[in-house]
Amino acid sequence: MERSTQKNGTVNFAVTLLIFLAALAVRIYSGSSATWGAWVFLGLGWLVASISRFQMRLEENERLERLEMDELARSRGTSLFDAKDSGSFPARNAREQFEKYFVPGFTILLMLLEAAGAAGLWYGTSKNPTGFNESSSTVTLSLFAIFALLLFLFGRFSVTMARLENNRLLRPAASFLLASAYVCALTAIAIAGVEARHLMADFWVARVLCVLLGLMAVETLLTLLLEIYRPRIKGKVGRPLYESRIVGLLAQPESLFTTAAQTLDYQFGFKVSETWFFQACKKNLPVLILVQLAVLLLSTTVYFVDAGEQAVLEHYGKPAGVYGPGAHFKLPWPADKIFRFRTEQIQSFDVGYTPDAQSESARIILWTVGHGKEDNFLVGNRVPTMDANASTNDSATTKPMGLITVSIPVQFQITNITDWVYNNSQPDDLLQSLATREVVLYLAGSDLNDILSHGRLDAATTLRDRIQNAADERQLGAKIVFVGLQDIHPPTDNEVAATYEKVVGAEETKLAKILTAESDAIRTNAVADSGAFTLTNVADANRVRLVTSKYAEAALFTNQLPAFAAAPAVYRQRMFLQNFAEATKNVRKYVLLATNTQDILIFDLEEKVREDLGNLNITNSP
Amino acid sequence: MKKNAVTIIVAAVLLVIFVLLLFTFQVRQSEVVVKSTFLKPTDTITNAGLYVKWPWPVQSINRFDQRVQTFADIPSETLTADNTMLVVNVFVGWKISDAKEFLPKFKGGSTADAQRYLENMLRSAKAAVIGKHDLSDFVNSDPAQLKFDAIEKEIKTSVDGELAKNNYGISIEFLGIKKLGLPQNVTQSVFDRMKAERTKLISKAQYEGEAEATKIKSSAERQAADLIANAQADATRIEGQGQAEAAKTLAVFQQNPELEVFQLELAALKASVNQKTTMFFDETKPPFDIFRKLSQPSPETK
Repeated sequence: MERSTQKNGTVNFAVTLLIFLAALAVRIYSGSSATWGAWVFLGLGWLVASISRFQMRLEENERLERLEMDELARSRGTSLFDAKDSGSFPARNAREQFEKYFVPGFTILLMLLEAAGAAGLWYGTSKNPTGFNESSSTVTLSLFAIFALLLFLFGRFSVTMARLENNRLLRPAASFLLASAYVCALTAIAIAGVEARHLMADFWVARVLCVLLGLMAVETLLTLLLEIYRPRIKGKVGRPLYESRIVGLLAQPESLFTTAAQTLDYQFGFKVSETWFFQACKKNLPVLILVQLAVLLLSTTVYFVDAGEQAVLEHYGKPAGVYGPGAHFKLPWPADKIFRFRTEQIQSFDVGYTPDAQSESARIILWTVGHGKEDNFLVGNRVPTMDANASTNDSATTKPMGLITVSIPVQFQITNITDWVYNNSQPDDLLQSLATREVVLYLAGSDLNDILSHGRLDAATTLRDRIQNAADERQLGAKIVFVGLQDIHPPTDNEVAATYEKVVGAEETKLAKILTAESDAIRTNAVADSGAFTLTNVADANRVRLVTSKYAEAALFTNQLPAFAAAPAVYRQRMFLQNFAEATKNVRKYVLLATNTQDILIFDLEEKVREDLGNLNITNSP
Repeated sequence: MKKNAVTIIVAAVLLVIFVLLLFTFQVRQSEVVVKSTFLKPTDTITNAGLYVKWPWPVQSINRFDQRVQTFADIPSETLTADNTMLVVNVFVGWKISDAKEFLPKFKGGSTADAQRYLENMLRSAKAAVIGKHDLSDFVNSDPAQLKFDAIEKEIKTSVDGELAKNNYGISIEFLGIKKLGLPQNVTQSVFDRMKAERTKLISKAQYEGEAEATKIKSSAERQAADLIANAQADATRIEGQGQAEAAKTLAVFQQNPELEVFQLELAALKASVNQKTTMFFDETKPPFDIFRKLSQPSPETK
């Protein structure tokens, strides 16, 4: 290996390191996303330059070692050093160990850095797409232009050197140098774009670099995998694992076919690049590109408008007609351009809420459960009463507002596409703003309790008319098809809606109490009615019984009179004895038949559990 | 030779495209273009079509959207005349009325910058106008009392005045209130008040229910008492009628009072004794005097 090649490797190493550090400083100073991407690319280039330089030194050492051994063998004229034990060639062993273990390990690290760089850049640009400090644009632009120039000069020289000397180890760093020059130039163009008020140019160039880094990571991974299956041909020196074909193509686009051919040859182990197909493609490439461009241009002369759509055709910027569904012809781009819009299709937006996945899948809609992200609207609030006689002179009348959440889907169609396209910059946003304004206005002038109950239907109709009028006033060219008040309720926050439900519950409880009392009243009245009826009936029965019995007794008495007149004593005695026997049939009787009237008889007439004569204690006192 | 011809054709096509791109430009119906010569605005093109220009850096163009552009300001907290905090968000429709004036006023003719300046003016005008109005002008259950249109008109007039002071090349086409809300703390208080209102209604329903139930029960009990009292009176009257009717039979008994009294005594005797009665008889009382009679000799035996 020539000394100049090694020097060239060292220069590449130094240049990439210096510009890498300078790019880092510029990146911090400007905050530009594109400079971030360029810095990552430069860092990878420096790593590749470092390892290729180190590998060059190992190969140089091996070459010197071989020369020394050859010289020694010639001077001694023996084959003493023919031995092929590994201890005799330390430089060669070091190079082999390096290529066997370090290079694959480094390539894996390189792949991880490429992937991490792509992911980090993507995440960073997504988070802050316009983080560029515009005041630093001139300095950034100048410095990156200088970086591009320096890298181009050194890169071009290295690439030429690598080709002339057919040095496989110089090639990766040289390609990286030249590709870095283009990346820095692209970054400078992005900064210039920002200066020209194309504020997103920085962002999009950063995204392009993201994709490039991602592709490089994928390529490195594939190279590592394919290396396992690549056929090893004795004596053929492999290309460095860390050499990127994408970077090579980027640095030397003219070598597309050469790179492709080398890749195919290298991978398949035979000369694919010498097949007729490959040669034909290579020979007719300009024609193929021209044909491709012509086809591309011709394809812009036909356009298809889908069902439900209309297209506005502009001829050099002037509206040249509106076309419905079907196939149509036009002049090629950029003379004629078309802009499609969904005119027949019902489009919609929501006022008052933003649906989420949970609310979309809800199987029941309740006041107490939020339906996506809901906004609170101010609404008028008269004192809430439940009957007309309630007092209105209370503290509630001093607060004329309440809060309410509404979910209002608004559906519309584009009826006049010319008005829709040319009168307003963002007609969708404007229509949504107008609808929201009408909803805010309507609710602010409504009563909370009215709108929650009987006012809903009127509200939908009124809102549709008002939104339509506002859209017509602004010449939007849209027809409001439907406005729905599908969900109006008190806010779910702080259990306000739950308290409203409890009022309904309390009303039901009140009604239940009244109904229970009415039920009790019916029972009480019925019992009283039946009692009164019984009382009068019993009285009447008593009356009838009394009268009847008295008349019967009178009749009996009339019949008894002759008997009594005939034998008063006998009749009297008979009646007495009959009645006495009957009356005293079950009566305890004591008949005293004592003749000795001086004796005192004592009877214990205390009631016993069992009353019989056996329990009776009779004491005969003298 | 053939290869060279193809290359020449490709190069010629690319050259034509490049030249066309350098010397021509299109203006869309929705656009207004300011053509500058050596960076000095020299011409404003509002009609759509294809136009020619000298290539950069001799002539350059700046394109602007000449349609109405809409933006909404950030919702901001403002005090009303009666000291209520409101969070108000306004949307504005504006357009570039004079592109040649617009271009130098904002860096690179940036519409984003223009909107930023407009928003500053808008916020100032909004606060000033809202501060002159009471809450009832914004929220009122009587829609006739609302003054939305007047408030929006006042804000627009104020912003128009600011724009007129320095010709920005901008005109305000319309302005509307997009959001009307309350700060978080006030919102919480309103929630509490709304809950208190409902709690009051709950209490009202509860106690009205109890009162109504008590009234119904009391009324029913009074009606029942009336019914029973009337029934008892009727019963007494009916029984009196019975007694009066029965009294008509007394004349029959008067034919032999001795017999009737005897029978009444017998009935009284029957009614006054029962199973628990203990009676003592001596041998002198009939029918037990039979024992004495039996122990004495009969007159025949004497």
